[in-house]
Order: sequence, then C-alpha cells, then structure tokens
Amino acid sequence: MELLFYLFSAVMILFGLGVVVSRNPVTSALCLVMSFVGLACLFIQLDAFFIGIIQILVYAGAVMVLFLFIIMLLDLKAEEGRQINYLALAGGLILCLVFVVQLGSVLTSFEAGDVGKTPQQPEMTTDKNPEGLSELAMERMAEKKLPDVHLVGWTLFTKYNFPLQVVAVLLLVSTIGVVLLSKRKLT
Amino acid sequence: MITLNHYLFVSGLLFALGLSGVILRRSLIVIFMSLEMMLSAANLSLVAFSRFHLVDGLPNYNGQALVFFIITVAAAEVAVGLAIIVALFRARQTTSVDDITSMKY
Amino acid sequence: MNTDYLPILVQFLIAGGFAAVTLLISVVLGKTAQQRSEVKDQAYECGMLPIGETQPRFSVKFYLVAMLFVIFDIEVVFLYPWAVSFQEFVRDGVWVAFYSMLGFVGILFLAYLYALKKGALRWSD
Repeated sequence: MELLFYLFSAVMILFGLGVVVSRNPVTSALCLVMSFVGLACLFIQLDAFFIGIIQILVYAGAVMVLFLFIIMLLDLKAEEGRQINYLALAGGLILCLVFVVQLGSVLTSFEAGDVGKTPQQPEMTTDKNPEGLSELAMERMAEKKLPDVHLVGWTLFTKYNFPLQVVAVLLLVSTIGVVLLSKRKLT
Repeated sequence: MITLNHYLFVSGLLFALGLSGVILRRSLIVIFMSLEMMLSAANLSLVAFSRFHLVDGLPNYNGQALVFFIITVAAAEVAVGLAIIVALFRARQTTSVDDITSMKY
Repeated sequence: MNTDYLPILVQFLIAGGFAAVTLLISVVLGKTAQQRSEVKDQAYECGMLPIGETQPRFSVKFYLVAMLFVIFDIEVVFLYPWAVSFQEFVRDGVWVAFYSMLGFVGILFLAYLYALKKGALRWSD
C-alpha cells in the first residue's frame, strides 16, 4: 500500500510539474488530465471511492475536455516562444520554495491526526447504526466493506439540504452567464 | 506507514505547483488550469482529514460533502471563466496576461 | 498484497501495451513513407495546391453545448448518491431529502428552460 501511495503521488506531482513547465497548452491540458487521474487514485486509497470516480468523471472527463475544446477553438499556437520575464520567474520560484520548506518544517515537527493510529480498511467498521442506514448498507458494513455512496448520500441529504439549493442557484446563474456571454458574440 | 502528514505534504506540494503556475505562466488558459490544480490540492487534504478523523469507526463524511460542493463550484467556475476567456479572445485576439492590462478597451 | 485490484493492473497493462504496440507498428511500417522529397510533396497532377490552415476553427456552438454539458453533468453527480440512498430516506421518512432534490432539479430545470428559450441548444440557425 505504501508503494502505491508513493507511485500515485509521483504521478500526480510529476504531471503537475508538466502542466507548469510545458510551453504548449495542449501538453499542459493532457498533463493535467494525468495528474487528476493520479489524484483520483489517491482518493480511492483514502477509501473515498465515490469522490475518486467523480474526480475522473467531472474533471478528467468533462472539465478537461472543455479546456481542450477552448484551446482548439482559440488556436493558441502563437503563445509559444514568448520571451520569459526572469524577475517574475525568480519571484514565483522563491515564493513556492518558501511555501514548500515551511510546509515541510511544520509537518516534520508536528504529528497531525491521531498519533500512531493509521486506520486500515478492515478495521473500519462500526457496531452502531450511523443514524439509520438501510439493511443493505449494514450488511456491507458487516462484511467489512464500506458503503461509501450510501454514507455520502445520507450526509448530503440530511445535513446539507440548504447548501444544495444554493449550489443549484449557482449552477442556474452560471448557465445564464455562459449563454449570455456566448450568445452576444453570435450576433 | 503512511500517515496524515504524508497526504498533507503531497497536497501542499500540489498546491505550491499550482501557485507557481499562476505566478509564472503568462497564458490565461494555463493559469486557469493551475487554479484547478490548487482547488484539487485542497480537495485532497479535505479527504485525507476526513479519512484520518474517524467518527464511530467511519470516515467523517462532512469533509467529503464539502469536497462535493468544491467540485461543483469549480465546474461552474470553469464554464463561466472559459466563456469569459473566449469573449476576451474575440475582443483582443490574445490570451496572454501581458497584453491585457486595461479594464476597458 | 491486495489481489482484488489485480484485474485493474492487467487492464492497465493491456491498455498501455496496445497503445505502445500500435505506435511501434506504425513507426516501423511507415518508415518507407517518411522518405520525403520535393517531388513527392507536390500535389498530384492537376490537384489543387493546399492553401490556408489545416485546422479549421470550431464553431461557437460546440463549446456552448460543451459548457452546458458540464453544468448538467454536476446535476447527475448529486442525483446518483440521492438515488442510492433513496430507500433509506423512504424507510426513515426523511421527506426533506425528497423535497430538497425536487428543489434542486426544479432550479436546474429553470436553467434548462432559459438555455432552451435563448436558443443555446438549437443546432441550425
């Protein structure tokens, strides 16, 4: 399991580096897709199966396709070969290095979470019924499997009903924005 | 043994990469992609926190609900942001931030 | 080692191997065709000389549809866990979950009606 963590982290970070350093926007977009696939694998390792699938479906499947569409539409080949602003380059690199060093020093001196207790999936079970799950979900739990989607759905629709409506309004507003911004150019 | 610290460090590394992309790159599209990377780094740390903070032996699903809302907001943001970039490109024929320095044209 | 994920590994290997073998075969077999010359690149007999870009720009309609797809894709993301947990909601009488999804879908239906009325989904102008 540790090997897989390092493998997928390396995939995610290296392809993320590819997004930043490659000069061709199409290469950047495809690197970002691979980086998101590595991230989805990390989600699945963290037993967040549904979020892992959603990460691939929504980000790698829909959002990145939209990015590639826009790159094709705008025909961005001319962006290559611009001269580099070395001051901005140095500033950005220093800022990020400082961030990483700070993060590393904080994380080495401070043990986050429950110390020495790393839960593995077989132990993850409960004798309590978490606020009324179905028989099916409880059977899964008795088999020491995690009924991930049941629990996510239960949490979302018992505790987060109002934020859900707000999100719906946000999607409505963004639909209107997209249609307005695109339609005005057609005429 | 993989602990919460490992996940937090990887997530911070991804965030730093996204930050450097936003600062270093001049193309609006790549800046936007780097923003997506930073949002995903936040998602990773949220899921890691939810997994390592067990409630009755189960992950804390409040954190994962927040991840759902972040993914939703990011997708809506991408749709509107790319529409704005296309509108900008139609008006100026460029997507480089060096060429877009005035609010009005 | 967890053997449950072995089929996924096998599938990855097959997918990667297929891509590699296809690329390799096309490189090996295409070697003779890559010997280009001035005469070979010319248009055949009275064929037209190529002018302009090889990649035509997409119409604005394509990305409008793509953006609307992303927005309604999100709707399905929320619909799926709701559908999976629906039995539990019915059994425990959590009717607020039902009405909340009704409101969510209703608001997004307004968005759909707006896009329809503005003609964003009409393909031929």
